[in-house]
Amino acid sequence: MQCIRVPTARDRLLDPMASEWSGVAGEAIALGATPLANQPSEYVKASRNEDDVGKVRNVMVQTAHDGNEIFIRLSWEDAQKNVEVTETNMFPDACGVLMPLNGDDAPIDEMGSQGAPVNAWYWRAGAEDEAHNMVAHGLGTTRPAASATIEARSVWGHGAWSVVFARALAGEPEAAVDLAPGRSVRIGFAVWEGSNGERAGIKSFSKEWRELALQP
Amino acid sequence: MAESSKRGDGIEYATKAELKQAQRQVAMVFDLNKCLGCQTCVVACKTLWTRDEGMEYMWWATVNTKPGKGTPRDWEQMGGGFEDGVPRAGQLPTRRDFGDAWEFNHEEVFFGGKGKDAHLKPSGEPDWGPNWDEDQGGGQYPNSFYFYLPRICNHCTNPACLEACPRNAIYKREEDGIVLISEDRCKGYRFCMEACPYKKIYFNHARQMSQKCIFCFPRVEQGVAPACARQCPGRLRFVGYLDDEDGPIYKLVNKWKVALPLHPEYGTQPNIYYVPPISPPRFDASGNLDESKPRIPTEYLRYLFGDKVDGALATLQAEMAKTKAGGKSELLDTLIVYEWKNLFGPFTQDPAELEPRKA
Repeated sequence: MQCIRVPTARDRLLDPMASEWSGVAGEAIALGATPLANQPSEYVKASRNEDDVGKVRNVMVQTAHDGNEIFIRLSWEDAQKNVEVTETNMFPDACGVLMPLNGDDAPIDEMGSQGAPVNAWYWRAGAEDEAHNMVAHGLGTTRPAASATIEARSVWGHGAWSVVFARALAGEPEAAVDLAPGRSVRIGFAVWEGSNGERAGIKSFSKEWRELALQP
Repeated sequence: MAESSKRGDGIEYATKAELKQAQRQVAMVFDLNKCLGCQTCVVACKTLWTRDEGMEYMWWATVNTKPGKGTPRDWEQMGGGFEDGVPRAGQLPTRRDFGDAWEFNHEEVFFGGKGKDAHLKPSGEPDWGPNWDEDQGGGQYPNSFYFYLPRICNHCTNPACLEACPRNAIYKREEDGIVLISEDRCKGYRFCMEACPYKKIYFNHARQMSQKCIFCFPRVEQGVAPACARQCPGRLRFVGYLDDEDGPIYKLVNKWKVALPLHPEYGTQPNIYYVPPISPPRFDASGNLDESKPRIPTEYLRYLFGDKVDGALATLQAEMAKTKAGGKSELLDTLIVYEWKNLFGPFTQDPAELEPRKA
């Protein structure tokens, strides 16, 4: 997966609907249900059917950087927009990007491990775009990691979500994966379908790491 | 396991067995023969804990008429808990099921200059509330019956909520077994709400996290009984440690075996116990008392408290017969509660006499 270097203005790249994105080649990533056997909750294992987990099975991924910041655009078909959480049984649509924090062999299907943390960028639908930088050391251990600022913009229209994440390339130890032109990192993706009650480990995800190469 | 590792940075890696471990267990016994449904406990809790934004519909303490649908509506049909030790799927109760928080036209009536012709009423047409079927009960006249069932979080020994949380946000306090949700760790996923078979967990929409009864732990730490118990005018809420052999809880639960958990078949081992209601006899078809049948069908009490209810009722009746014949009964003396403070074991401290905590 190539992350091309572009001269485009950042406010255009931040806009999920900007025409510039049609010039950026994307890759359709297949997503699958998170394995129930991995869930860190006996209740979740016993109460779910794996066939009903992970409603969204495809996400289109486009990436670009301008030498200072990286922009990752995810888009997927979703006939029903789930934004408001006004009832206890309502959950928002959401998506995430995952990278091994230290470039090592962190397990993607277990959200890293105690020795090999992962860095997650998480967006969820809401009245305002809300994005968080997080670090996990295994399933159920995700914690917000301060300082690294993730920006996100989203648009829902014509039965699809388009979300752009933006972050400075330079990372921070323990908190944010370090990126740079010419470098390659491993990357994974996840989508939560709110109408299907998806939250936490109940989601669809790319089952293997992809290599993301940042153009020098 | 040390308290610090449970509540501190290591909590996410603790095993469920570690999170459930407790050296002692606080418990309550509710004597249903004394509950008059006054809702003082409910309001005491509301006033103390659930007045903030996002908590409007929460009632950590409830009192419902039984038979009845309860709060949330039909909670006994919502699943959760364990079946043969395996977690059982449960439903997420909705705010509507809980009865939501009605909005009233206070502004119009009290401040809008319409005090003489506008009536205080909820907006819209509510069709459910936290105590909606209060005046229904069961049975047919002249054998109609009802009693009140007060409920709080059961602070279970095997909490379904704790088992369900994928983030280890729920734990029992090592020193007293109180079940708490860590506000730092809770992300509002609501698996606990699904899994709790008693449906005693609420979702705070403003803070996007789950919340529930905390057994008034800041009071308990100062030797003060929980507000619902201390405010109860009926002297029916006993508080204490389950293993305190001199306290009323141990006597009622373990010695006399007249206090039973609600729906023990849910498999969570609740630590709130109930003295079942004794009922007057039924009337027969010709209007005479039929001493052979209680007004409250024992089958219904077995449904609520399990098969041990028969023994509990028999013991209560035998002890009543003993005192009627002029004898003494430690059990009835305990249940009568001659001294109000005898309800509270080691938690008799008057909160008004405590020094305010320094910030």
